[in-house]
Parts: sequence; structure tokens; C-alpha cells
Amino acid sequence: MDLFAQLFVNGLVNGSHYALLGVGFGLIFATTRILHFAYGPIFTAAAYAAWFAANVLGLPIAAAMLFAAAIAAVLGVITYQYLYLPFERGQGSSHVTLIASLGLFIVLENLIAIIFGTGGRVIDGYQYSIFLIGPIYFSSVQLGQVIAMVVLTALLGVYLARTRHGKAILATTDNPEMARIIGIDTVRVSRLVFAIGSALSAIPATLILLKDGASPSMGFFAVFIAFVAVIVGGVGSLRGAVAGGLALGMVESLGLWKIPTEWQSSIAFIVLFLVVLLRPQGLFGRAVN
Amino acid sequence: MEYILHILVMVCIYGILAVSFNLLIGFAGLFAMAQAAFYAFGAYATAILTLKLGLPFPADLLIGVAITAFIGALVAIPAIRISGTYLVVVTLALQVIVIAIATNWKSLTGGTDGLRGIPSLHIFGYALDNPGRFLPAAIVALVICFWIAWRLVNSPFGRALRAMRENESAAEAVGKNLLYMKVAVFAFSAGLAAVAGSLFARYLNYVGAESFGIDETIYMLAMVILGGTGNLWGSLVGAAVLVILPELLKFVTLPTEIADKSHLIIYGLLLIVILRLRPEGLLAERSTMRHLPHVDDTSRHSAEMTEPLRTGEVTLSGNDLHKRFGGIVAVAGFNIVLKSGSITGLIGPNGAGKTTAFNLLTGFLSLDSGNITFRGRNITGLKSHDIVRAGVARSFQDLRLFTKMTALENVMVALPNQAGDRVFDVFFRPMQIHREEQDNLVRARAVLDFVGLTHKAYETAENLSYAEEKLLVIGRLLATGAEVFLFDEPLSGLDRTTLAEIFPIVRKLADSGKTICIIEHNLDVIKELCDVVYFLDEGHAMATGTPDQLMNDPALATRYFK
Repeated sequence: MDLFAQLFVNGLVNGSHYALLGVGFGLIFATTRILHFAYGPIFTAAAYAAWFAANVLGLPIAAAMLFAAAIAAVLGVITYQYLYLPFERGQGSSHVTLIASLGLFIVLENLIAIIFGTGGRVIDGYQYSIFLIGPIYFSSVQLGQVIAMVVLTALLGVYLARTRHGKAILATTDNPEMARIIGIDTVRVSRLVFAIGSALSAIPATLILLKDGASPSMGFFAVFIAFVAVIVGGVGSLRGAVAGGLALGMVESLGLWKIPTEWQSSIAFIVLFLVVLLRPQGLFGRAVN
Repeated sequence: MEYILHILVMVCIYGILAVSFNLLIGFAGLFAMAQAAFYAFGAYATAILTLKLGLPFPADLLIGVAITAFIGALVAIPAIRISGTYLVVVTLALQVIVIAIATNWKSLTGGTDGLRGIPSLHIFGYALDNPGRFLPAAIVALVICFWIAWRLVNSPFGRALRAMRENESAAEAVGKNLLYMKVAVFAFSAGLAAVAGSLFARYLNYVGAESFGIDETIYMLAMVILGGTGNLWGSLVGAAVLVILPELLKFVTLPTEIADKSHLIIYGLLLIVILRLRPEGLLAERSTMRHLPHVDDTSRHSAEMTEPLRTGEVTLSGNDLHKRFGGIVAVAGFNIVLKSGSITGLIGPNGAGKTTAFNLLTGFLSLDSGNITFRGRNITGLKSHDIVRAGVARSFQDLRLFTKMTALENVMVALPNQAGDRVFDVFFRPMQIHREEQDNLVRARAVLDFVGLTHKAYETAENLSYAEEKLLVIGRLLATGAEVFLFDEPLSGLDRTTLAEIFPIVRKLADSGKTICIIEHNLDVIKELCDVVYFLDEGHAMATGTPDQLMNDPALATRYFK
């Protein structure tokens, strides 16, 4: 029972991390229909930006996080404006932006590796606190992952539902053509979601930096799990991305009960296969193509 | 020298990989991201079968290819129901799982250490254990793999693949079995990649998980894009450039670590730049039809085409058809009877359920209830491609031509009963296929003559005028050899002169005994063309009669113009 409780907490923590990644990626994907693989290396860049701010500039963690978010947002918008948008204007097939995105993925990932070296980076002297509640163990960073997910997703939900810009995003997600007809500048909306989605990824990136350190190749898993969370949860649904992320984290963690650790990452994909085969629109979504 | 030979061997291995990947991405339009995983299967199969079971060549190769082809075929099964995004994520997951297995199943794969000591190939007791000796074997493998891929894409099967890439539903509407095609192309692509994997294992005498990661898939993707999607020679060029280029860069002295990374940066940039500047790649896709001679002997077949059927017989009938989408009732209690030799019109306001009725009659949507018979045979629930083959074909309001294929190919792909649609026949009955192709060419040209597009036969569909596109839609439908044609707004948006050209074509079809049903908004067209008209509203036929009867009914007029 103790083991179960611990695995449950671990699942909740990892699930929150995946969920937040999924929310950022899913917002971009649902609104622009761009499979933004470069989300991965931008996540990595955010982690290194946070490292740079904390370690080199000596900023406090919270400020480093904001700095990372700003850098990620700028990278996201630049990517959209100068990479994806020209391809979309060129009327290329959706595969073209996907391939361009993979190209950028490789470029950024290796650029980061050249600039910062392939070894891991941690913030010098940072020590997280550890809590023990009964038999359950968790750290302040893990707590931060859960809180970040809950707070940011709630804020995003309110922003989308209540503000003018948020509604424009929802309208574009729902039907880009109709949104254009009623006078929404969908290019601006796309820039906005690239900024928000990328900035969101900086928070889990900073938390992972605090927890495990940063490495140049950390982006692939991030974008991949975000993608899987969105597909499992259902495209175009905030709740879906959260549910998808949490479900993946939980299944992965609870699966450890019976399955050796090294197979942990494969468990999530079994969930993916089942969802795609049995409920392709995802837990909360509508079918997409 | 040794070094140059080594590079050439790598060009051969990547040449096979790029060609195999191009089959999926370039020809079939299936964006799968697991090519390195198939490559890994081939490599590990050879490593495991030779090291653990001591199997000799070519048993390891053949078993590896068979297993990998089977796994490729399995991937295709979800690919029939899902497309685009889902295929990307599922294949990406496969890629990740395969690497996880290679890293974690230590007893079988050696884990992170990989498997060492794989025996070199021996040909007639002669060990191929250095690049110079291995190169001829690699070239032979490349030639064989290239030939298999070339044969496949230049066959009727390849033509159907490209049609599927251009538009899946339209390929289905001309009677192509998409599941079969996807399974076959995945199996071939995976099997060929496995050959490259086996070569790799034999050449380096070592396999390890790090050689088959996602980066490797992207590397192959860069080769395909650079060389040109849909062009096999392009894949060879792409492989050669991307294998040789980094080697040239080695002359620039950089620390190894940075050098490797900068190569990857160069692939990435190259991928983006080529997409910007020359999206079709170095060698653009070409029409495969250049290989066929012009044939002028159309007399025999046009005679056969116009052989009259008996008119006035009931061909297609739909009885009490129902369909709901969630809470919306699209079709409710619709009955329709179509007769040979007559032209039936389907009119009604927008949202009346006309197109839905077509979708139901042709199996593109499944019925909630009701049944459909064709010449007395119950065809309810058949797959749409089987319904076309049974004799009921439909067109789409938004045309859905195979835009990157020529007019001739658009028609040829639709011809029924092509042995060349089956991959077995492509490889084992080449003579029969050759004869059939000559025949198909004649039939296709007869169809183009019939719709008056002979002079545009070698023009790609995207370069045709709107009226010509509409004619080609009719031609393609005609080519299916079906008896019942359901046209969804075939004449909308055309001017009077063009209409006057098309009317006799449709009339002639009916006179030859075909059954025709047309969705149309233009009442003049209905009046001119139709023998019977169904007025559809709220999902069922409100009235049936001759055009004059219906148009003089004031109640219907109010409904229509409400």
C-alpha cells in the first residue's frame, strides 16, 4: 500500500510535468495545426536560459524562470514568423512545415550542444528540500511541478475564456477560416499562441533543470511526450491535454509495480497505441486530420 | 583508398534506406517516422540470427526482411484508419520503443554494449571483410533493392499509390483498396530498409542501438527531400550528397565533438533551405507514363465501350435509408430507384442530405438503417472500393482529381481489374502486366476521346482549366467501368458554352444504357438533362416526377427558395 501511495504521488508529479508540456504544445498545435517539433529544443533552450540566468547572472530562481520564459517566447515567435509562416504562405502541404520543423529541431539541438557542451548542467549550490508525509517522499521541486501545472493551466483556461485575445485564439482553433471572415488576424493569433505555448514550456524546463539538470538532448522526450499527451487527451482541448499528461504519468508510474524501471518509458506508448486504435479522437477531443 | 571505398559502401547502404523511405513518403504520401526502426530490425536480425543461432547467409537476411516487412505491415493497419498527425505520432512511438527494446533487452540485443563479432559475409569462401571487398556486395544489394522499388513504382500499383497520395477518398472512389496498398507499401519499405540493416551489420560486424535513433530517421528524411520526393534516382543522389558532404567537411579541422554536431546542423539547415528554394528536390518527380508508347488504335475499344446495355431496368435502389450525425438527422427514410438509360436529378436546398445520400449509396458513410441493392444484389455494408467494382461509382463536388498526375494517368488509374494493382503480379507476371498496360492505354485514350480531352492527355491535372477538370472528373468516373454513375454537381460553375459541350456527353452515356444520377442546383440543367427528378428536403424525397411536374409545384418552389 505504501508503495502504491508513493507510485501514485510520483505519477501525479510526472503527469503534471507531461500535462504542462502538453498544454503548451497542444495550444500551438490546435490553433495553428503545425506539428511543432522544434518545441523540444526550445524547451531545452529555456532550461539553459534559466541555468544561465541563475548561475552566470546570479538571478534568483523565480527571476531565472521568467527570463527563460521570455527567451522561449521569443524563440517560438521567431520560429513561427521566419520558418513556418513563409511555408504556410507558400501553400506547401502540411508535411512541408513538419519537415522544416524537424530540420529546425536538429539545428537547435546541436547548436545548444555546441554552445553549452554535451555534459549536463546544474545550478551550482541549489538544493531542494525534501518532505516526508507518512511513508510518502517528495521534494519541493516535485511539489512545484504539480503547483505550476494547476496554476498555469487554470490561468490559461481563464485567459482563453474571458479575454478578447483568448477568445480570438479559441475561435481560430475552432475554425480558422471562419475566424478570418469575422476579422480575426489569424497570423497574429498564431504568433500569440507560439509566444504563450513556448513560454509555458519554460516553466517545466526550469523545474527539470532544478530536479535533474539540463542536457542538450532533453528536448526530444519533452516534445514527444507532449505530443503523445495531446493525442491521448484529444486535440484542441485544454482539459484533454491535462488529462492526457496525467494519464501518461500515472500509467507509467503505476506500471512500475509490475514492470522493471527501464521499460517505464515504453508503457506510455502502449497507452498511445490503444487510444489511437480505440478512440482516435482522444479522451476529450474531436477527430482531426 | 580504403577510406573512399568505405564512403562508397555507406552511400550504398544509405541509398537503399533513402529509396525505401521514398516509397512511403514520396510515392504513398505516408508520413511515417520509423524508418530507422525498420533499419534496426534488419541489423539486429542478422546479428542475433548469426551470433545466437549460427544461421548462414542468406537465411539471416531473408528472415530479417520477412520479420521487418511483417512489422511494417502491422504499422499499416492503424494507418488505414488514421492519417497525418496520428501516423506521425504512432510511428514515432514505434521508433522510440524499438530503441528502448534494443537498449534494454540485454540478453537478446546486448543492451548498450550492442552485439559484436557478427561474421563477415563469405562469398565462395572469400571473406568480404574490408571495404574494397564489401563494396561489390553492397552495390549488388543496392541494384537489387533499387530495381524492386523501381518496378513497384512504375507499375499500375505505383500509379495507384500516387493516386492515394494525391487524394485518398478519390482513390477509393475509383475502386482502389487502400488497406491493401498501405500494407503492401509499408511491407516493401520496411523490408528494403531491413536489407540495408543486414548489410550494415555484416559490414561493421557490430550493431548498437545508437545507430538507429530518431536522428537517423531525420537523416534519411533529409536524403529523400534533398533528392526529391517521388523520384527514386533522387534518393540515390540525396544519399550520396549527404554521406559525402560531411566527409568533405572533415578537412576543416574542428574538435570531433563539435564536428559531429555541426554535420547535423548542416543536414537540418539543408533540409530547410531545400524546402524553401526547391521543394521538389534536386530531381523532381516525373510522370511514369513516358515509358509507354503512344497508341492510336482506339477503334476496337470505343466500340466495346458504347456497347448498349438494356435500358429501363432497375439498377440501383436505396430503401428507407437513415443516417444521423449525433443529434442532426441528415437522411431519414430516403428511397431512391435508379434505372438504366435514364438520367435522374437530385435537387433540394442546401443541407437537404443530397451529398450524404451519395455517401451512403457508395459506402463512404455507413448506414444507420436501410438497405441498398444493385441489380438485385444486396450491397449494403460493402466497402466503397468493392461497391465501385460491383458497378456503382461516384464523383465529388470538389473534384478531387489526382492533381500531380497527368490526365491520362488520372483515367488509367481508374480502369477496373488491373492485374498490376497486385504486387504479386507486378513481380511475377510482368508479361501479363505489360500486355494489360498496352490495353489500358488504349482504353484510357478512348475515354479521353469520349470526353474530348485527348489533346490534354499528357498535361498534369493541376494545369487543366476548370472546364477541363470537370471533364476529366467525368472521364475518370467513366473509366471505372461502373454501370451506375453518381455525379455530385458535375456542371456547377460552368458557363453556357461549356455546358452545351458536356450535355451531349452525359446524354450519350445514358443512351448507351448507363444509369446516371446527378446532384444539381441549376434548374435549367435539370430541365434540359433529367428524365426523373427527386426533390430532397429534410433528409428524404419530398416529391418525385418529371422536371416539369416538380417545377410547377408551388409548394416545392417555396421550399427551394426559402
